Amino acid sequence: MPVTSEDWERRKRFVNFTEADAKLLKQAKSHMEKHVDEVVNTLYANWQQYPELKKFLNSPETVERLKVTQRGYFLDLFSGEYGESYLKGRMRIGHRHQQIGLDVRWYIGAFSNYVELVTPHLFKALSKDLDKLQGTLLALIKLINLDEELAILTYIAAREEVISQQHEEILELSTPVVQVWDGVVAAPIIGTLDSHRTQMFMERLLQAIVDTKSPVALVDITGVPAIDTATAQHLIDTINSVKLLGAQVVITGVSPAIAQTLVHLGIDLTGIMTRSSLADGIKVALDRLNLCIRPKGAA
Amino acid sequence: MDDINVAVLRLRNVLIVSVPGDPDDHVITGLQDKILNSMMRYRAKGVILDLSTVDIVDSFFARTIIDTAQMINLMGGRTIIAGMLPSVAITATQLGLTFENIETCLNVDTAFTLMEQTG
Repeated sequence: MPVTSEDWERRKRFVNFTEADAKLLKQAKSHMEKHVDEVVNTLYANWQQYPELKKFLNSPETVERLKVTQRGYFLDLFSGEYGESYLKGRMRIGHRHQQIGLDVRWYIGAFSNYVELVTPHLFKALSKDLDKLQGTLLALIKLINLDEELAILTYIAAREEVISQQHEEILELSTPVVQVWDGVVAAPIIGTLDSHRTQMFMERLLQAIVDTKSPVALVDITGVPAIDTATAQHLIDTINSVKLLGAQVVITGVSPAIAQTLVHLGIDLTGIMTRSSLADGIKVALDRLNLCIRPKGAA
Repeated sequence: MDDINVAVLRLRNVLIVSVPGDPDDHVITGLQDKILNSMMRYRAKGVILDLSTVDIVDSFFARTIIDTAQMINLMGGRTIIAGMLPSVAITATQLGLTFENIETCLNVDTAFTLMEQTG
């Protein structure tokens, strides 16, 4: 839920939507009820001209069903009750439109359609009491602005949820640990290592080492575009943790550029075994396990 | 003086110490005495510290382990830490506890093999 009722009350206070406003809108309800069908019909006639909206209005039954909902929406503007149930209803509608994939601009544009269609009726009904006319019009604009705010927030909340899900998935995907031989695990790092990722990478690597009882872990940095002091420190932390478990890390995929950077930055990697290719790293690992690869049939 | 309840096993000429799960400072200090005395008594050539049940470490613990390893070294022995849990290793690194140059092994089994092979 992107907006709590507490937030909602604060928003109302911010735009100065008061009980007096609520009362003015409620008083206008009887006038509006007379015109609700006309307003709703005009809205849909307008919307059906646009292919982007037309695709949601494909059958007459759908349009009839939506018109009923729209009537409810319209009359809710003049219900005089703008508390929690109003808030929930508005957010549900926003969420539904976001789900079907309606571009938020059409949604916001529809509010303008509303103001345009309702204003003449207000003027006609209240032309004798200009103070009341001004008050009602302002109340309506404030409320519609609040509705727009909710619509936008609902869209943003849905997007943010997608983004955070994708972020988690990318993290999962980007830290695979594979066993390449009995006693050897390999973990390629793709992209830069930030502290959040390092934490996840460390946990996975260490767990894999314990699970597979591997004395050697190859950490391949071929896919790391550039290394800085922070990344290097994260790597060193990982290596130290692995060492505490009783296993050894071999850093592989040290490119000329990375080797130059490491020396220029003055990063001390003494005591840490490094190789330029993963193949070399596998040789080191097998050597450590007293194994070797040789051609078939050779003595 | 051996008033702590920690078993120090001797296998051939290697001592195997199972460090208790959540050791308090008293136990850790007592453990040091007990290990060094056992070194003397059995004329052991090395000590394996099994940390597989330890799920939390602090700087005092790490410092005492490092000190003990140095003392064992002075008495002509060798120390291997075995079976540290991943979560402990990560916490220790974050706290900057590197256990300096003490040898480490994945478990007691490999530690024992290492002790036999090269010692």
